[in-house]
Amino acid sequence: MQKKSLGVNRRELILGGAVASAFLVSGVVAKTKNSLLGSPKGNRVVVVGGGYGGVTAAKYIRKENPDAEVILVEKNQLFVSCPLSNHFLVGLIDYGSLCFPYNKLHTKYGVKVINDFVVDIDIPKRRVYLSDGYIEYDYLVLSPGIEYDFENYPFYKETAWFYPGAFKPGSEHLYLRRLLEEFEGESIVITVPKMPYRCPPAPYERAALILSYIKENGLKAHMYFIDENEYPPILREGFMKAYNDFYKGMATYLTGVKIKDIDVGSRKIITSKGEVKFDFGSIIPPMKAPEFLREIGLTYGKEKWVKVDPMTFESKVQNVFVIGDSCESYLPKSGYAANSQAKVVAKIVASRIRGKNYEGRLIQHGICYAMVNLKSAIMVEVEYKYDVKTREVQKILREDNTWKVSTAKRYYEWARGLWRDMFL
Amino acid sequence: MDRRNFLKTCTAVAAASLASPSFFINTLKAQEGSFKPYNKAPLLKKDGTPIKPEEIDPTKQYLFFYPHRATPCILANLDKEVPPTEVKLADGSVYKWQGGVGPKKSIVAYSAICPHQLSYPTPDYSFINYYPQDTPSNIVKRGGVIQCCAHLSVFDPEKGGVVLDGPAQFPLTAIVLTYEDGVLYAVGTLGKEFFEDFFDVFKPDLRKLYKSSRKAKKLVEKCEVIEVSEYAKEVIRC
Repeated sequence: MQKKSLGVNRRELILGGAVASAFLVSGVVAKTKNSLLGSPKGNRVVVVGGGYGGVTAAKYIRKENPDAEVILVEKNQLFVSCPLSNHFLVGLIDYGSLCFPYNKLHTKYGVKVINDFVVDIDIPKRRVYLSDGYIEYDYLVLSPGIEYDFENYPFYKETAWFYPGAFKPGSEHLYLRRLLEEFEGESIVITVPKMPYRCPPAPYERAALILSYIKENGLKAHMYFIDENEYPPILREGFMKAYNDFYKGMATYLTGVKIKDIDVGSRKIITSKGEVKFDFGSIIPPMKAPEFLREIGLTYGKEKWVKVDPMTFESKVQNVFVIGDSCESYLPKSGYAANSQAKVVAKIVASRIRGKNYEGRLIQHGICYAMVNLKSAIMVEVEYKYDVKTREVQKILREDNTWKVSTAKRYYEWARGLWRDMFL
Repeated sequence: MDRRNFLKTCTAVAAASLASPSFFINTLKAQEGSFKPYNKAPLLKKDGTPIKPEEIDPTKQYLFFYPHRATPCILANLDKEVPPTEVKLADGSVYKWQGGVGPKKSIVAYSAICPHQLSYPTPDYSFINYYPQDTPSNIVKRGGVIQCCAHLSVFDPEKGGVVLDGPAQFPLTAIVLTYEDGVLYAVGTLGKEFFEDFFDVFKPDLRKLYKSSRKAKKLVEKCEVIEVSEYAKEVIRC
């Protein structure tokens, strides 16, 4: 892949309508006065969001303290994984292998799972409002993931209808795969927002996998890979070597490029260094914590992510924790990191319910694997060990930038292990 | 029990267990909730004769299934005397681990089910492995460890399987061995077990291998010891 800048002209932007993204739908559903579960007795934990962080928190709080009453609120009936979804895009796995039911959380671990929208959260009153009533809590764990930042970058809205970023699980991936399978054009574009965003290696993996797919299928397409960052922020050496060794001449890697507009009608991206025309693409918008976190006072002004104690994930409000991609943390935003953060919070909450402060060691652990072609992968491990008493932090960072088929096999086992940990 | 008394006890226990294997078993039985006895099963070679400690090559890793037909264990010769030690869990509780057995007290065994997210050796892959001294792990840059390559948990077989590195929150489940009249026996487990979760989450896989969960759970009366590379098509190290 060659690195260069462009020198072409800008054309007008066509803006489309809005894309609905409703985690919290205040104003759409009225707040009701019904108390759904009665008053809590000091042991009630409400977990909002049934992704990697929320599911793990709900399960592990119950495991750590069976006396805890844990309620998980999630709007979807089934979990769909974002990790490994790039594999689905290029046909390495089927969609079903990414889907899991929440039922064992209830039958095996005694978590009350409620499929509903969160309408509002009243932090002073410690209430989470759902569509048909509210639940009072003693402890609140928020793990709502990300939303695309259409507010600050409105031109991404319409793009999302045509060329999904596919960084939120579900239909975006299904549609993107169909577009790729039906692709007959000459140019593909993938864009990468400036860090931080969900799963740092994922756009680079997607570029590599799609290029590998192009090769495998004998297509004549060229990829424009437009990166707002100067280089891959993670596993840089491995990705750059792979692009050079496997895909030289097949792609143009444009780095440090700001995307100013996207003209969906004429399939054109207007950047700080010129225009790029494309036939098909995955245009990944900038991301932020869901807007409702601002409405309930956990983000301010221009903050995109919730500030928390980076070792305990407690927000500025006591007993309100924010984990996963929504918070500003040491670990990169990823499902695995959320799973690890949830276990930290589970220890703290379980101890507090017992009337004690947790005094052991808290370990945050992050592992990211990334494919560099259809068969081989590279990986990175980050770990923070935090001693609650001394507040000392020990950091470990290990990258393995040498791609191997065996690392790809570990990648699948990594994901299967995570899913076992959450759902089985 | 304070540390000094504990070490004294361990030394006494080790000395007594050399003379009488049942002494150690009785001591372990006193550790309510940590030691769980199963069938007393001899460790055998493929030809059905007992494997001798000196036949366990310190540069290789071995596998046997215990206490259930489907639950794999790692067997290793650490090539040095491995003294008894205490294993401390995150909740502060402590149990005594017997150390190595055999004439050199160098033979140890652990369940090969990773306590983190339950990866285990299958006929296709072995992600969790013993790294002999001459095959160091790339993660901790040393040999003499047991490591799971899925999420990089590293365990110390010299210290009762405690976590050296990575995300695991519990040590490996130790397999309690005895050495009597030249024969190695597996007699039970020590520490937190993960068999219930294992049988739950891998039910479909185990059904394929053993025809039914009931058959997979059957308790063994003897254990055939094989090299891991003979069992798994691919031994994945990292």
